[in-house]
Amino acid sequence: MEVSIASYIMLSAVLFILGAMGVLLRRNAILVFMSVELMLNAANLALVAFARHWGQTDGHLFVFFVITVAAAEVAVGLALIVAIFRTKKSINIDDLHELQG
Amino acid sequence: MEASFDFWTHLPAVIPELLLTVLAVVVLLLDLYGGKENRRNIAFVSAIGLAAIAVTPLIWGPSEQQVFWGGMVRYDLIAQIFKVMIIIGASITCLMAADDSEVGHKGEFYLIVIVATLGASLIAAAADLIMVFVGLETLSIPLYILAAFRRDDERSSESGMKYFLFGAFSSGVMLYGFSLLYGFTGETNIYTLSQAFPAAVADNPLPLIGALLMLLVGFGFKVSMVPFHFWTPDVYEGAPTPVTAYVSVASKAASFALLVRVLLAVFPVTLVIGQENLQTLWVNLVSVLAIVTMTIGNVLALRQTNIKRLLAYSSIAQAGYVLVGVAAMQSQSDYSVASVAFYLLMYTFTNLGAFAGVLIFSETTGSENIKDMGGLSRRNPWLALGMTIAILSLAGIPPAAGFFGKFYLFTAAVNANMVLLAIIAVLNAIVALYYYLIVIKVMYVDRSQYDSQSIALSRSTLWVIGLTSIAVLLLGTFGAQPFFDWAAQGAQALLAL
Amino acid sequence: MNVLNEWAFVGIFIAIAWVFPALPIIIARFFGPKKPNAIKLMTYESGVETVGDTWVQFKIQYYLYGLVFLIFDVEMVFLFPWAVAYNELNFFAFGAGLLFIFLLTDALIYAWRKNALEWS
Repeated sequence: MEVSIASYIMLSAVLFILGAMGVLLRRNAILVFMSVELMLNAANLALVAFARHWGQTDGHLFVFFVITVAAAEVAVGLALIVAIFRTKKSINIDDLHELQG
Repeated sequence: MEASFDFWTHLPAVIPELLLTVLAVVVLLLDLYGGKENRRNIAFVSAIGLAAIAVTPLIWGPSEQQVFWGGMVRYDLIAQIFKVMIIIGASITCLMAADDSEVGHKGEFYLIVIVATLGASLIAAAADLIMVFVGLETLSIPLYILAAFRRDDERSSESGMKYFLFGAFSSGVMLYGFSLLYGFTGETNIYTLSQAFPAAVADNPLPLIGALLMLLVGFGFKVSMVPFHFWTPDVYEGAPTPVTAYVSVASKAASFALLVRVLLAVFPVTLVIGQENLQTLWVNLVSVLAIVTMTIGNVLALRQTNIKRLLAYSSIAQAGYVLVGVAAMQSQSDYSVASVAFYLLMYTFTNLGAFAGVLIFSETTGSENIKDMGGLSRRNPWLALGMTIAILSLAGIPPAAGFFGKFYLFTAAVNANMVLLAIIAVLNAIVALYYYLIVIKVMYVDRSQYDSQSIALSRSTLWVIGLTSIAVLLLGTFGAQPFFDWAAQGAQALLAL
Repeated sequence: MNVLNEWAFVGIFIAIAWVFPALPIIIARFFGPKKPNAIKLMTYESGVETVGDTWVQFKIQYYLYGLVFLIFDVEMVFLFPWAVAYNELNFFAFGAGLLFIFLLTDALIYAWRKNALEWS
């Protein structure tokens, strides 16, 4: 059975929204990162689905770049978490209140 | 790839980027093999290298052909202006960082600044969604590292973390917007996207409006537009001062260049979908955002006691003024785009001067409190003078460049029949006078506990403050018209698609 | 084919999709009975209680290894198409690939010289 483009887009929309809500609701920095990754991968899914729909490779190309960028982002983010954990002994983002005013 | 791909015709469009890559490799090798005594020289190697690269766009300027690298890059006059602006900003940042006791001796710092500049330079000319995304992330990810550069300082790593969380979220939303735009049309080139819209979405503008909003989230974060400004004060305060300067200048200028280009190209005035002119829509939206941004920035700046936080809220307010110019693009006149470019040019020098002053002040006294700046005019009259010029420019008082910057922006708004917007902007500028003038008053009239402690300027700071002050004064007097005309030419190139 | 209808579906779906995950969270918060006791609050992970402190310190080198691996691993995504199309590449594309590998090597040398690859 041929799966229609709309199904892919709906799936990607669900993933995106789950990711966005995770970022907004979660307090643990690692879980927030995972949610951000979910958002990026939702966009990836949409891009690949659209690329197939239009029968061209631009979308695939885009996804390649998004994957590498996401990896770089994760590397930096995890390094930041380690740095935060070493000084604060916590990765709860509500504990980030040194800077206020 | 087309058969007749000629490498040499495509080369000039990316010469600054290629040279930045070379410089990054050189700096990296210097850091690894240069030995301890050479570390300090890395700052000067980077600063001079960047200054030399800033000249290259002027030598290999835009030509007849404007689209390069398979549509990835559009090298026109406005891209040239922004590239020069961004790379000069980075150069001065490196010079400034040489005096920062926390980051100045670390080779990686300059390496990361150069990589961020590479990203900023790319997005100034990006003409494809893929390039926009890659360039924006090449700019953002190094900045997250830079903000958290003082690893042992809780405030620095916290600011890096907050910057990262906001940045990653907003770039995720923006990317989803990109994927929607690609989905509607099957195009990733921002100049061909809009032509494919009518066939794709028929008479329903809603999907496009959704994509537009998602794009604005990503760009709004980068230019610290309300309601995506929450990171700004914390990052400005917690990050090392040279990084703060860089974020407020190069990153912001590049993002505005991108905002202007994408809004004009993807949602042009000719794009009417089911009775709805999308340009009118985003112009109204940007006008409202401009009003909110400058008002919130100015009101919150009034009660700040930390100078870096004050400059953070001031930079939010300044972003609001620039948005006035962006909204004025509805008139399709080159005047509005030129006013945006001119404002960012003068803002580059102004803010770098202001932050250089803050850096020297906090390095000597260890304080960032405004009240501790009391008596600065007696402790070092030149530093106080440089700071005063920068702050006058931020406040928009002649003969500093900020006056012409605001004058052009608000005139653009009036020319576009947005008189109310212009009036609100002027009122905001008047409110802002209060907190800017207080800083000057503290420096010249008040006394503080550090009063007897004199402040020495190193040679590199003297250069930074001297150069920026001269540039600010020049742009505020004789330089204003020529540079504005240059920007206006660039604007014509951007509007004549 | 009217593309509009397809997109309208997506729009409605997005609206519903916000409500869908939010509803159970809200309902659970308001109506869920809250009677915690020692057994309910116990950590459960594969049914076995953890021995010792869960926050065991890993060596920082472990993270460096992981991060360096992550970055270099993902760069393969660009080298793979380059390698597959190798026979049809013109000189420019070949050079671009080499440049890419050179920059990666540069980063590897950096990691090496900064002792990120030392386990001790």
